[in-house]
Amino acid sequence: MAACSRRLDKFIVSLRLLRNLQLQNERFLSTSVCRWAPGNDSEPPKFIPPSKPVIIDKTQAVATLRKFLSPEFIPPRQRTNPLKFSMERKDMIRRRKILNVPEFYPGSILAVSMADPNATGKINRFVGICIQRGGKGLGATFVLRNIINQQGVEICYELYNPRIQKIEVLKLEKRLDDNLMYLRDALPEYSTVDPDMKPVPFPPTGEVPLNELKVKMRPKPWSKRWERPKFNIQGIHFDLCLVPKQMEHAQKWAQPWQEYDMLKEYDTSKLEQQILSEVQQEMSK
Amino acid sequence: NCIKTTTWFEEHLTEDNQEYMRKTMAEEYRRQTAEKLNPLKDEPWQRHEWTEGSRRVGLVAVKLGMAPIWTKTGEKHAVTMLQVQDCHVIKCLPREEYDGHTAALVVGGKNVSPFHRSEHYMEMFRNAGVPPKQKITTFKVSDNAIIKPGTPLYAAHFRPGQYVDVTAKSIGKGFQGVMKRWGFKGQPASHGQTKTHRRPGASGPGGDPAKVFKGKKMPGRMGNIYVTAFGLKIWRVNTKYNVLYVNGSVPGHRNCVLKIRDTVLPTRGSTLLSPPFPTYFTEDEGDLAEDLYDDDLFIHTEPSLTLT
Repeated sequence: MAACSRRLDKFIVSLRLLRNLQLQNERFLSTSVCRWAPGNDSEPPKFIPPSKPVIIDKTQAVATLRKFLSPEFIPPRQRTNPLKFSMERKDMIRRRKILNVPEFYPGSILAVSMADPNATGKINRFVGICIQRGGKGLGATFVLRNIINQQGVEICYELYNPRIQKIEVLKLEKRLDDNLMYLRDALPEYSTVDPDMKPVPFPPTGEVPLNELKVKMRPKPWSKRWERPKFNIQGIHFDLCLVPKQMEHAQKWAQPWQEYDMLKEYDTSKLEQQILSEVQQEMSK
Repeated sequence: NCIKTTTWFEEHLTEDNQEYMRKTMAEEYRRQTAEKLNPLKDEPWQRHEWTEGSRRVGLVAVKLGMAPIWTKTGEKHAVTMLQVQDCHVIKCLPREEYDGHTAALVVGGKNVSPFHRSEHYMEMFRNAGVPPKQKITTFKVSDNAIIKPGTPLYAAHFRPGQYVDVTAKSIGKGFQGVMKRWGFKGQPASHGQTKTHRRPGASGPGGDPAKVFKGKKMPGRMGNIYVTAFGLKIWRVNTKYNVLYVNGSVPGHRNCVLKIRDTVLPTRGSTLLSPPFPTYFTEDEGDLAEDLYDDDLFIHTEPSLTLT
């Protein structure tokens, strides 16, 4: 993403130069269309400027269409000096200029190559579905899950760990929830990812596809009671595994007043915009 | 037992006057700090060289928060970020005045408003020509490391690779039971225990002393005492914002004021590093890089680590 945006900027700059040159050339000419009136033979016909070409800046439109700010940039609601967050952000941007961290969401399939002293060829490649993105600042992590030789494996990677060589997004998509920990109790087919999967081409424009898959679960007991409203899971097919009576019983743990609790409100929209503009500025330098 | 003679009641002033007071106070602070930065105006004291066994000043800093760092071998460590905000030397107590053995320097930390401090407190800041500070500490210093009152102290006083001791008031926990305060094991949760799960149990030997010894660990107020963390390594120094990255955790809550000094541990002395003595002066070594890193630290502008 970083490299693309830098190259795009250069392209945009060159386009702007061309446009400026064109504008400079046209500034000294009259834009009013004057037809050569038959009768004025002494004066040469006024130059009719050609119609201005409309430059559809496809590359720029592509970059700015989807403004994605990685969730670890947004500071938590704490009584901390904002200087601490800005210093961490600077370090994060420095690392992002070296390692291209692409945009991804829980539910996307990633492949991570990490330097490992015990691995053959020194580099360890792991492919899996991202089930959780946690942490803020430099300690941001993401958990990848896959099933290898009928054994479920989850690896928690730190985004800013210097041992990570490459992060590739093989399939970019969103799911109905932010936290897919329930895949541990789902049927194994939902967590298997082919390690030699080819990256699915994704056009840079447009929305990230939302996979409205409802997952079938293994029989209870589960590691967590996913039917309870505190988890607020949309992505499980509860009709196949739970009776309506059980669903009602789970609603006993509902806390409907939390949605109206004003002290729990944390509006990050302005902060997000500010940080996004700051990050984009720094990345383009 | 002391009667506060000066109390600041905002009701005695009109609103315009209050605003004016606040503005003038801020301007006065800026003027005072700027004055102290100019070495020509006030004649600085004689700077001595470092000798074996000399101790130099420490700093007063504010705890910002914690962050992870990675070494060049790929290990992760947690560091605390400490910012040195407006640290000035306030008073110099020569050997005879202090205790007859060592000289001492009184150093102050974060700036605060003068309106809610007593006259007695403000007096020493007025003598030094420095805005009033939230925390003042004394550092025991050898005779060749005394500094003129009013000199600002910066984070570059410490260098990466050095070890420091950090003292601060730990987070107050209030009145706590014996299990949390002293780590007692308590009693089992079931198997017939009647109303006894977190109690101290026995309080001493028995009939022979027939008393409870002084200092018996019992429930009481926990925390809010000065605790020192020894031998913390400095990984990184940011000279632009005066921030020190210190290994591990440090007592105190976020935004608390701490006292930092060179280690007393004999195995972690900083003789090899030759840190600035008596302190770091901007006019002497003004062109330090914005960030000073330790040798083992991985800097994020370098390419990814390939462990071979």
